[in-house]
Amino acid sequence: MAAYISGEKAAFRELFQRYTPLLQRAMARDLRSPEEANDLVQQTFLHLHRSRNDFEPGRKLKPWIFTIALNLKREYFRRSKRRHETSLDDERTAEPFEGPRGQERSDAARETARALAALPAEHREVIELHWFGGLSFPEVAEAVGSTVAAVKVRAHRGYVALRARLGDDSPNPDQLEVKPSTEGLH
Amino acid sequence: MDCSEIREAFVSGAAVRSAEVEAHLRVCPHCRELFEHDAELGHSLAQESAFALPFQDDLFAALEADVAQETGLRAWLRSRPTRLRFATVVVSALLVIALGGALRARPDFAEYPAARLVLVLGVYLVGIVAAFGKELYLSARRGTLADHVGLLLGALGLPFLIAFAPATEASRHTGPEGALNCFLYGALLTVPTAALLWAFDRDNRPTMRTVCLSAVSLGLSANLVLELHCPSGNALHLLLGHASIGCGMARRMVRRAAREPRLGIDLCERSWAI
Repeated sequence: MAAYISGEKAAFRELFQRYTPLLQRAMARDLRSPEEANDLVQQTFLHLHRSRNDFEPGRKLKPWIFTIALNLKREYFRRSKRRHETSLDDERTAEPFEGPRGQERSDAARETARALAALPAEHREVIELHWFGGLSFPEVAEAVGSTVAAVKVRAHRGYVALRARLGDDSPNPDQLEVKPSTEGLH
Repeated sequence: MDCSEIREAFVSGAAVRSAEVEAHLRVCPHCRELFEHDAELGHSLAQESAFALPFQDDLFAALEADVAQETGLRAWLRSRPTRLRFATVVVSALLVIALGGALRARPDFAEYPAARLVLVLGVYLVGIVAAFGKELYLSARRGTLADHVGLLLGALGLPFLIAFAPATEASRHTGPEGALNCFLYGALLTVPTAALLWAFDRDNRPTMRTVCLSAVSLGLSANLVLELHCPSGNALHLLLGHASIGCGMARRMVRRAAREPRLGIDLCERSWAI
């Protein structure tokens, strides 16, 4: 980022190459098409370009980019009246984003994607940022504007519900009454 | 070992219950979930996270084209560091308030209680600066309206409260006349700051958060100017001519921001100046 600010155009491409796959994965799961996800990714980088002079050397770039991206995604859903949190609670019917033709997921990965898509948005968000965005929990907390303890509790609840869905060892994961322990939240 | 290293171990296929991992699992309930049932969940998430999309040249080309169009005064202004954008907007608003108050100061200003002046200035300025800060600095915007409803209600409610507490003895004996003049004067003085906020806004279209906070800051600015300008203590005058500025702005801006957008990069910026 510092190289980009100093005027190296190639650095922007490097940033794009590094973060686009992560952002696409974070965006795509809530959207109905790759085009919508790509539009939001494009807007994220345009916003990053406009905000480039705010970057402080030594600051972590990843949580910053994800904060921009998540804000854009929330605004998109708000504007398009698609109450994605509500729709997720009502069981999504859309298939998870599949990516370009020629790439196929295994059945297990497909099943994981479906189980993830069925989680409440606040649980799913932290799991996706941690696993697919590659953010540590402190970085996730920074990106979503919460505390580390809170995002860990949300991740824990999400993991419990996911495991129930994947293992099918519970009659209805939505009815799970999760009592997350705060033990060891660090 | 921490949670990120556990994740990386799963992604790289090297997740085994070593002594180091066990030590972490003893204190980390959510990572324990990853290892339950032969680490089914950890492996599933790792497999899903390995699904990568190829670099898209056409997407990057479109982005480069958008960036290439970021030229001109507004592009330069919106790319200034946020500290500078914030300071510029605050100074501009203060100048307009001072100028608007000084040029047409209320005739009973000499009798205006000093304590009230300090209190009014303090409360209004805190609200104005807080609204500018929230609007311009990047933060996770979870609840848009919900996060700022307190500030919005406070900003819209403050002029209503003042309407029932006349400042001077003379102001107790005034009528509702001149409300329209006050409304126009207050609204006119928000234009420079509104233009600056628009120029500094980095979104392609103003978001609901932006418009709410703009309504707060501009409504408070207008009411502060009018408090320094208008001697009227008539409740109807204050409600119609002063307090209605923030409410009118909030209504107009929210309606404008709520219009159905089109998705995609729209560099044909639309003015939302009031």
